[in-house]
Amino acid sequence: MIVYKRLINNYLKLKIAMKSFFNLNKIKDMKSLAWPTFAFLLFTFSFQSCGNLEKEIDLDLPEYQPRYVVECYLEPGQPFSLLLTRSAPYFEPFPTDLLNFVENILVDSAEVTITHNGVDYVLANEPTINPFTFKLNNYTNPALVPTEYDNDFSLKITTPDGKTITATTRLLPVVPIDSIVVEFDEEQDTLARCLTYISDDPATVDFYRRMLHHNSLLDSIPNQDFTTNDDFVDDRTIVFGTSYEFKEGDTIYNTMFHIDRAYFDFWESTFNAITSNGNPFGQPSSIISNLEGDAGGDWDFYGAEL
Amino acid sequence: MNLKKLLTLGLSICTASLLFAQQTTKITVSGVVKDDDNGETLIGASIYEAASGNGATTNEYGFYSLTLPMGNDSVTLEYSYVGFQPKTLRILPKKDVTLNVRLGTGIELQEVVVKADAFRESIRSTEMSVEEISTRETKVIPALLGETDILRVIQLKPGMPSASEGNTGLYVRGGGGDQNLIVLDEAVVYNASHLFGFFSTFNTDAVKDLKLYKGGFPAQYGGRLSSVIDVRMKDGNSQRFAGTGGIGLISSRLTLEGPIEKDKSSFIVSGRRTYADLITRQVNKANEDDPDYNPIPSYYFYDLNTKVNFQLSGKDRLYLSGYFGRDVFSFEGDFFNFNFSWGNKTGTARWNHVFSPKLFHNLTFTYSDYDYNIETKLTGFSFKVGSNVQDANLKSDFYYGLNDNHILRFGGNVTHHSFGVGRLKASSDDGEVSFSGGNDFTGYSLGAYVADEMSFGEHWKINAGLRLSGFTNNAFYVGVEPRVAALYVVNPDLSLKASYARMYQYQHLVSTSGISLPTDIWYPTTKLIKPQNADQVAIGVEKILSDKYLITNEYYVKKLRNQVDFVDGAQLFANDNLENEFAIGKGYGYGMELGIEKQEGDLKGWIAYTLSLTKRGDFDPIDDTKVYAGEGKYFYPRYDRRHNLAVVLMYELSRRVTISGTAVYGSGDRTWLPVGRFAFQDVPGANFQPIVPVYGERNAFRLPYFFRSDLGIVYKFFPKWGESDLTLSVFNLTNRRNAFFLYLEPQYAEDVDPLEDPLAIPTGVAAKQVSLFPIIGSLTWNFKF
Repeated sequence: MIVYKRLINNYLKLKIAMKSFFNLNKIKDMKSLAWPTFAFLLFTFSFQSCGNLEKEIDLDLPEYQPRYVVECYLEPGQPFSLLLTRSAPYFEPFPTDLLNFVENILVDSAEVTITHNGVDYVLANEPTINPFTFKLNNYTNPALVPTEYDNDFSLKITTPDGKTITATTRLLPVVPIDSIVVEFDEEQDTLARCLTYISDDPATVDFYRRMLHHNSLLDSIPNQDFTTNDDFVDDRTIVFGTSYEFKEGDTIYNTMFHIDRAYFDFWESTFNAITSNGNPFGQPSSIISNLEGDAGGDWDFYGAEL
Repeated sequence: MNLKKLLTLGLSICTASLLFAQQTTKITVSGVVKDDDNGETLIGASIYEAASGNGATTNEYGFYSLTLPMGNDSVTLEYSYVGFQPKTLRILPKKDVTLNVRLGTGIELQEVVVKADAFRESIRSTEMSVEEISTRETKVIPALLGETDILRVIQLKPGMPSASEGNTGLYVRGGGGDQNLIVLDEAVVYNASHLFGFFSTFNTDAVKDLKLYKGGFPAQYGGRLSSVIDVRMKDGNSQRFAGTGGIGLISSRLTLEGPIEKDKSSFIVSGRRTYADLITRQVNKANEDDPDYNPIPSYYFYDLNTKVNFQLSGKDRLYLSGYFGRDVFSFEGDFFNFNFSWGNKTGTARWNHVFSPKLFHNLTFTYSDYDYNIETKLTGFSFKVGSNVQDANLKSDFYYGLNDNHILRFGGNVTHHSFGVGRLKASSDDGEVSFSGGNDFTGYSLGAYVADEMSFGEHWKINAGLRLSGFTNNAFYVGVEPRVAALYVVNPDLSLKASYARMYQYQHLVSTSGISLPTDIWYPTTKLIKPQNADQVAIGVEKILSDKYLITNEYYVKKLRNQVDFVDGAQLFANDNLENEFAIGKGYGYGMELGIEKQEGDLKGWIAYTLSLTKRGDFDPIDDTKVYAGEGKYFYPRYDRRHNLAVVLMYELSRRVTISGTAVYGSGDRTWLPVGRFAFQDVPGANFQPIVPVYGERNAFRLPYFFRSDLGIVYKFFPKWGESDLTLSVFNLTNRRNAFFLYLEPQYAEDVDPLEDPLAIPTGVAAKQVSLFPIIGSLTWNFKF
């Protein structure tokens, strides 16, 4: 009969190591490494290679009805804010600059309320932009998100055309970073790697998002950015690493988000959709959201430690 | 003795109604039919006795058994095989005789007679939905980069709508790419492709022939839903030492064969290897000192086929054969080493024993192994990933020509499977990180079958069979697989056929992409993943026109259950709970196939047209927290191809020159494209994503139609030492760009780099079509001695 061996450390441990030690994008590229190689073989050894193998074509896609997209992240001690936008047909022309682009997708005149512990926080249609992170929100309430983990936050949006969108979530406690270790390579001691340790609660199923920025937190292009769950943890400690890539004097920003399943699914499905587009090795997928009603998008919170 | 018991059992199941008394008034003619030139046994050669109308064909080992009425008048036996000169023998049907017959080709063949005998045999056979390809045809038909490939040629036959850009994957009658049972000398080949499916693992020089069943499956085959591809290796020349080989654009081949003891035993060794890597290595070496130079990864594949056979006695013959093939891809950079290899190994040991002129037995042991390994080394860190599947299979097959009304086949097999799914080992040099993982599964599959080919007078034949299959893993499953085929011969030139077959499949291929990847994992049936099964009904008509053309027309309906697919965003890599990524659904397909074939004369070839419709759907994730887009709905799979037309022509201009041409037209593959998009801001610190695609209905979009025409010219030389030829292949003569895949790419203004500017906005999205092959010419030199 079956021998169903489950080894102590499973693949997810590999996944985290691969994601953090290698940088996931490099791994993804490996899959496509074969393809340019083949193209090379082909061209070197064929007598003729007549013209380009890639051409632009016109696609006639079926009609698409734009839907609402909600992004809302709750962070204890920060004001309530939410971004309500609409999606567009895939080939719809893009406005020429960022401002027009943003104006074009923002949805105004919706009624947005977040309810928690009997308090209705009404988010007014007042766009704000964070000058440090460049993140924009078009519905805000200056009240601060209470640090309270036991009760739901519920969201209700009534759109200008009378549709209702709802969702609920709960805050998750911050998972502190236990320690950060910087190690120089023994052979070539000019380059260092960074190991980040956190402690996972074995009693709960937890999801994390880990970000690492090099030199600037504001440049918004993280050196590392991935989500993971705690399936692999057997001794409470999770270590996130990097390859030997940092020089003396560099500043590294480690950010750990304690996220829930809904956000994990949303984030993974969103990035899967982005990366599978046009990848002959990939499989497209739908966006998994925790919104109810006629919308696609996300409603969530994050806990962060910088 | 066990054998006797088995025999008795087999007989008692299916012969209760038979009249043994008849036997005294019958005689049996049996023997082996061989190729006169090299002693290779001929599979499917026809033996026909006109007076009684009785006929037989040779089995997979060239053995035949024909029962005739006893009499005092001599009768004429006609032996024939496609492309060979027929032979007639006269015998006095007084007692059982053994006749081992050799058929020759000879140059005089070209002018020989009307040769519709092979077609006649097809008309008289209950087998339907069968395609056969010989290596002789394969060698003439133009090939990609000059690499003749029997699996690519089979794609030109009716009902094989699969000749899309760069894919040897077979999607037979609406079946998936993993539903083909590919056996080489009876051993399962798990991944029959090299280089992501551009080439198959079968070296044309080592292969005798290929037979493909699309439906009406004989009871001796089981384990896959949609097709059986039975590839036989050559036995080796038992007459004289001989060699064949060739030097081509990307590979070279050499085959040596000859008698160990003339007429009694022979051997064959055949190898092929690509050599692009030898050149790329030199290029890399030459540029070693250039700091800006990016080394070219190295890639090669090879195949090695070996076989020996021994005639142990007049009644016993032993065959040992083996296949080893591997693809190796490697890259060595300053900080990054990558090594990726995959391949098949198969081994077969067979013992044929003729118990009596009526009873033939074959005992086979086969071993199959497929594995892939990826090794990566990065400064300070290394990891290895791999998967494998291994089968050890013992089977026993009986062929019993009971009398002229009953031919029985029965037997059974037991296979031990072991699967290593996603083995891995990762460690950092300093030991800070070190772990390994993987799942091992073992399982047994069992099969037992019996089939009786019954003749009822001149017009009717019915082949009724039953296969019982079983699989054990952490659950035990049994499959009852009835197989029935009926034949009505209207006249020697026209017959009507019908068949029904149920198939079970206990292994599933874990693959998300539409193309064959070496990293595709075979996964067993488990408690949660039930065996796939399918029912297929086919009806058909076969007609010989003017003694030259065989026209076949078949219609089929197929229903598939417990089909596997994957949930959205499935994590197939680095996941030790792979089962939770499966979704289970259904499928169906129906279609019509029309073929016109001409096998004799200066101009040979065929035209194949297929009209088909395939749908899959009603998928339900095993883990209900996962999502399968469009759950419940039916959709067209990528390989749903409405129309497919293939024309293959071979014209023998002179003794020296043969010209061949193929043309294939097909509806485009389906693809799943986004219809909408949204902008994703994400949390502070994260990238702004201006375009997140929102995918529409699954595979709702059809790629542009496929068209390709190829031309081949073979020019023969006849030097003293043997024969040689130059083969010119022009692939994609019209230089058409066929779509391999589409992708949608955001376009940015020239001065904007989205990798640098976190708030970059695209100017638009462009749809791009990627093709693989432009017009490609190649020249191959082949020789034979």
